[in-house]
This record gives sequence, C-alpha cells and structure tokens, in this order.
Amino acid sequence: MPRTKAMITRAVVPFAAAALLLAGCSTGTASPEPTDDGGDATLRVNFGQFPENWSPGQEMEGGPMRIAYETLLIPGENGPEANLATDWELTADSLTLTLRDDVTFHDGTAFDAEAVKANIELVKGGTTAYAGPLQAIESVDVVDATTVVLNLSSPTPSLPVTLTSRVLPIGSPAAIADGSIATAPVGTSPWAYDDATSIVGTRMVFSEFADYWGEKPGFANIELVSITDPEASAAALVSGEIDVTDTEVDVFPRFEGTSIETLAYPAIRNNLFFFDRGPGGVFEKKELRQAVCTAIDLDQWAKIDGEGQPATQHFVEGDQGYSANIDGYPFDAAAAQKLYAAAGSPSVAVEMVGAPYNSRQIEIYMEQVRAALGNVNVTVTQLPPPQYNGEWNSGKYPLGLSSNDEQTAFEWYSAWFAAGAPGNPSGVESAALKAAADAAIAAGSGDEADALWAKVTETIADEALTCAHARGVEQLAWNSATVSGVAAPAERWEPKSVNYRDLTPAK
Amino acid sequence: MLKLILTRLALAVPQLLILSFLVFLLTYLMPGSPAAAILGYSATPESIAKLEAQLGLDRSFLERLGEFYAQLFQGSLGTSFLNGRPVLDLYAERLPATLSLIVGGLLVAILIGLTLGIIGGTKPGSVRDRISTAITSISLATPEFWIGIILLLVFAVQLRLFPVVSYVPLHVDPAAWARGLVLPSLALGIAGAALIARQTRTAMAGAMSSRYVDSLTAAGVPRRRIIFRYAFKNSLVPVLASTGLTVSIMLGASFAIEKVFGFPGVGGLLLHSVTSKDLAIVQGGVLLIAILIILVNLILDISYGLINPKARPA
Repeated sequence: MPRTKAMITRAVVPFAAAALLLAGCSTGTASPEPTDDGGDATLRVNFGQFPENWSPGQEMEGGPMRIAYETLLIPGENGPEANLATDWELTADSLTLTLRDDVTFHDGTAFDAEAVKANIELVKGGTTAYAGPLQAIESVDVVDATTVVLNLSSPTPSLPVTLTSRVLPIGSPAAIADGSIATAPVGTSPWAYDDATSIVGTRMVFSEFADYWGEKPGFANIELVSITDPEASAAALVSGEIDVTDTEVDVFPRFEGTSIETLAYPAIRNNLFFFDRGPGGVFEKKELRQAVCTAIDLDQWAKIDGEGQPATQHFVEGDQGYSANIDGYPFDAAAAQKLYAAAGSPSVAVEMVGAPYNSRQIEIYMEQVRAALGNVNVTVTQLPPPQYNGEWNSGKYPLGLSSNDEQTAFEWYSAWFAAGAPGNPSGVESAALKAAADAAIAAGSGDEADALWAKVTETIADEALTCAHARGVEQLAWNSATVSGVAAPAERWEPKSVNYRDLTPAK
Repeated sequence: MLKLILTRLALAVPQLLILSFLVFLLTYLMPGSPAAAILGYSATPESIAKLEAQLGLDRSFLERLGEFYAQLFQGSLGTSFLNGRPVLDLYAERLPATLSLIVGGLLVAILIGLTLGIIGGTKPGSVRDRISTAITSISLATPEFWIGIILLLVFAVQLRLFPVVSYVPLHVDPAAWARGLVLPSLALGIAGAALIARQTRTAMAGAMSSRYVDSLTAAGVPRRRIIFRYAFKNSLVPVLASTGLTVSIMLGASFAIEKVFGFPGVGGLLLHSVTSKDLAIVQGGVLLIAILIILVNLILDISYGLINPKARPA
C-alpha cells in the first residue's frame, strides 16, 4: 500500500501543481476596472455568435451592429429623430436629408453625402437581407457634402422609420470599396473596432473613438464576446467575466443570490397568414379564416410557451397602424364552430411548415384548430431553417407563420397584403383594402394619415388575412455590481440588443 | 517503414477523391436555397433567382462539380457566400483552436483511459476493476457538453480558478492559452477516455493471463516491471487502434465543447454554415475533417509499424 500511495502521489502532485499554476496565470485579456465616472471603463457584453459579415445590408442582430455603426435617424418617442442626419423632408417623390458636417468614420475618412449614397447603393443593389426595404429608392442625388436626395419610385411614408432600423447602418465607403468591412466594421459610433487586440472568433474589442462627434458614452470601450450556450453565458456573467448578455429563462436559477438582474422586452412579432385565399383557394372564404382565428387560444399557448405574449394585432399602442377597434379574434370555440358552419363546414387537410424555433407554437395552434373545428386538419412539417426561410411564405403552403419585422403600417401592408406584395402569393386584394391603403398613402404623414392607416389595419383584421398575433420576448441579464442603466433598447422589435449609450459603470 | 508510409499515402489519394465527391454530392442535395437563406424574409423569387445566378447556383450539377474540382486541384476551397472570404482562410483562423482542444482532450483521455485500463486489466474482477469499469461506463454515458457545464460551474463560477471564455491563441499568451485549455480538455478527455480505458483493460487482462507473464512471474521479475515493460507494451497495438477511433469521436464531440466554452473552432463555423447553407464552408469543413482523420490514421499505421514489425508490408 505505501508503494501504491507513493505512485499516486508521484502521478497526481505534478498535475495538481500544474493545474494550480495555470489557474493562477493571467489570461492576458483582463478588462480595465470600472471607474466612478466611466473613465476608460470597458463594458463586456455577449450576444452569442458574431455576425458572419459586418457589411451594411447583411443580416445582423442589433446587439453587435449598434456597437460599431450608427444610422441616419434614430427612433424617438414621436417618430424618427435626428442622428447622422439633422433634418429631413419627405414628399411623395423624394426624401431630402441634411447631414451633420462634423462626423468622421473610424478610419479617418469624412462622413458626407457621397458616403450616404455609397451605403444606400450597396444595400439596395446588393442581394442581401435588407435590400427589399430600399427598393423604393430609385436613385440618390448628391446635392452637396451635407445634402442628399433619395428619389422615390412611389410614395414611401415609411422610409424615415426604415432609416432608423438595421436596414441601413452607415459604413465607411473606403472599407466598403476594399471589402475589408466584411470582417472589420468601420462606422461612426463612439467605439471603433480594434483589430490588434481582438481575438478572431472569441473576442472583438471596440475602443474609444477619440474623434466621435457626439457625447461620450458611459463606457469608453466595449468587448464583445461570442458565447452561444446559455449555461455558459450565465456562468460567464456570474463569474464576472461579462457584464451583460442575452439569456434564456431556463438559466434564471443560476442568478439566484447573485447581483445579476434580468429584464424582458418584446423583440419578435409573429402572425398567422392565410396565403391560399385566391379564387378556389382553401382559405378563400372569409368565414373559414375567421373560424380558424377564433379557434386559436393564444392565452393557452402563452402558458405553455412560458415567455411569449398574446397580442391583438401586429402594432402596439402609439404606432401608426394601431387600432383599439381590433380585438384579435379572442378564443371562442362556439363562435368558431358557427363561423365554420357559415363557411359551409369544408373538410380541410393541408400542410404547413415550421422551423425548429417555431414548430411547437404552430403545432399548438393547429391542434387547437383541429380540436375546435373537427374537420380542419393541418399537418405541420418541420424543415431546417434555410429551407424554411425560403419556403414558408412562397405560396407552396396555404398558410404560414413566422416572425415579421415590419415597423410601419405601410411596410406591413406592402409586404403582405397589397396585390403585388411579396408575401401575398395569391395576388388577391379586396377593393375595400386597396381603397383604404391608397387613401392612407396619399395622406402622407400626420394625424389624418395615422387615422387612415388604422382603418387599413382594421380592414386587414376584419378580412382575417392574418391573426394569432404573438410577441416573443428577449431576455437580458446583467451584473448590477458592474453596470447600471440597463433598459430595453430604444430600437423597438430588435432582438439581442441593449441601450449601450445609457449604460454606465455601477457605482 | 518507407514502403508502409508510401503505401498508406497512396491509399489516401483515392480516399480523398471519393470523399470529396461525396461531400459535394451531399451539399448539392441539401434542401433549401442558399440564396433564400442569405436574403431572409424579404426575399422575393426575383431576388433569389438573381442571387443564385450571382453565386453560380443556377448551373448544372456537372458544371458545379467541375468547378469544385478545378478549385480543389488549385488548392482552393472556394469562397464563403456570406462574407466573400476564402474558405481556407476561415478554417486557418479556426483550426488552431480545434487542434489545441483535440490535442489537450486526447492527452487527458490517454492519461485517464490508460490509468483506468491498467488498474482494471491487471486484476480483472477485483474491486478496483469494478470501480474503474463503473467510472468508464459513467463517462461513456455522460454527454460531453454536460461534463463541460459541470466543470464550468465548479471551477469557473464557484472556485473562480479558470475562465469561462477561455480561448487565447498560443502566440498571444502561452500561459493563458494553456490555462484556457484545462477545462475544455478535461471535458473532452473525460468523455473520450472510456474507449481507451476499455480497450486497455481488455488488452492488459489478456496479456496478464498469458504464458509469458506466468514465466516472468515464475522467474521472479517484479510485478510492476512485468506490467509496464512487457504486458503494457504488448497491449499497445489495440490501444493505439482505439486511440485513433477516439480522435475521430473527439472531433465530433469537440463541436459541443466549443459551444460551451466559446471556443472559436471549426465546429462553430461548420454548424453555422450548415444552417445558413454556406455550401463552400460546409464542403471545405467536411473535407478538412476527413483529411485530419486520414492523417491520424496514417500516423497510427506508422506507429503500428514501429511497435510491431509484423504490421509492416513485406
């Protein structure tokens, strides 16, 4: 036995010593300590995977994007507000923007009208995720360094709102031209990407940009890490390695007894659409669509989901397009059966597709429909995300559900309900809806336009072109011992984001 | 030995050709349009068709296959649809993290596997054999990501001995690199040790019951010397075989460990490319993994030859 003990000791001690030695080693990536006034403090933040491509127009979560980039306008309480553009004038034919003259890109080049033109042409002309919303811009005229005119092919009242969103982050034309922007973002924000101190795939460092035109933010630097596993990101937060992360409800127990706080904000909206509503289509009859809508019990779904929130409509109070008159077809099995009978009690057997992230919700809805209406059977097939993204609204399936990020009533109508909308494969639009939309578009902006857009969304609801409105929430967790001021981002309906500029080191 | 190496290298060429064709075929048959995946929800049939033409996805199977092999023979794996960067560059950035993890995991797996195998195999049926077999069974049944999370919670969150976000490149800070590798390597190694432990136990038990061990014991050779100098050496060939298989398994398991520890390895890139349908990255990644496995097996074949002259071709 003594010999065995000696063997074990000889084997274990060097490893234990090595482990302790390694445990005591510095990582070499320690962040500066927070100071009372912000100083050179570093915010360490995680939003999962880094963007594969940092070029404007590419699909990017707001979290990473808004560290490096700014937009021409920003969202405000009563609509868009000035940012890189100080003033704007929208007509039926054009949007004229007046630009700041004191803005510099992180690479030292000047922000001007030519830069705006380069970015718009990049996004609009590129085959990227956000090319669609800019298609109404026919051409861009540079009047002088601080004035740019976007000429429109048709009245586009939603364009100022679009310019506040992820559709058009403004990147350096020089970095766009040489292609380097794909891997190294170059914007105009208070934080410039620091290639020298970043570690590819693990940690992106954004350091204080000395020539920033605006107010200094609470944190001089930001480190963006890439932790995709919720348990691991919770561990990093609790251990003090990061300050803020997006997270999941499942890991909330890890935060008990710690200084970690959480908040949820609605970031995703999804709605059920009836695509096959043309002549002879499965969902041609309004009463059948209404029957399906009335058979769906959103409260029950929310209980099962644990996080989602039922809604009566796509828009929220305060948005153009919101109407208090829309009731969202509250669940009523008896009413659903009446409507079904009014539709002639057709036997329906159709297929619908879902992706791993929404199949459960769709299956719950369709099970409720089958239970309430008996002879309406919808088979839900789960597809891998790439296939699902390309097919769910292509017209191959008579109904569909996915997230919809349209911010304005005009975008909402143009994307899904107008006769030529990409999301209206049947190509059918009622005369009442077209008349309501034409009147709203002609009204431009203001109270009258708001009232007319509310009429448009009421018509869409009355015709039951869409229903089962639901909101998905984003969960944020932060260490209240190191950071304060965390609130939902000002940019509404943007997943994985936080109000970076309002954050300050905890005192 | 030279003949053995040349034979194995010659065999690797058709293996790679067949593999590359299968990889191309499988990615070609993957459902869904990469263009639709890139364009997202605002995609229209026109924009999808335009992007497919830009990416060359509207060409025939043979045209695309021809281009794939033309690139391959020029030493290129194409460019990413998503960011336009050469696929080889993307993997070159990420391979060091994966290799660090695999090497670290393999060292842990060999250490634990051999220890458990020798403990059990030198006295089959004993209490210590049962204990080592039980440990082996538990590690075999435990998912590596779960082991990783437990290690994180204990050593990173509770004891604060190691970081959660752990990877630092070797050239940036060797000490931090080693420190960051400890927990991920342990997670991967514990999961990978079972196969080596079982193979070692079986081989050692067979060796310990052989006649030459009886003769050596009768001749008064100390037991420790019999175990390590004779029985263990003779057990190495089957153990090496299981080590090769362990490396292959670890390559797959490393994907989960990369996710838990935020490692910027090949796995994350490959998995993201599959969901975003970045075909060039998928093809390149699968090919690189295949090459790694062929290389590992080549090294093992050469090792057999070195240990056992009978394994060398005449």
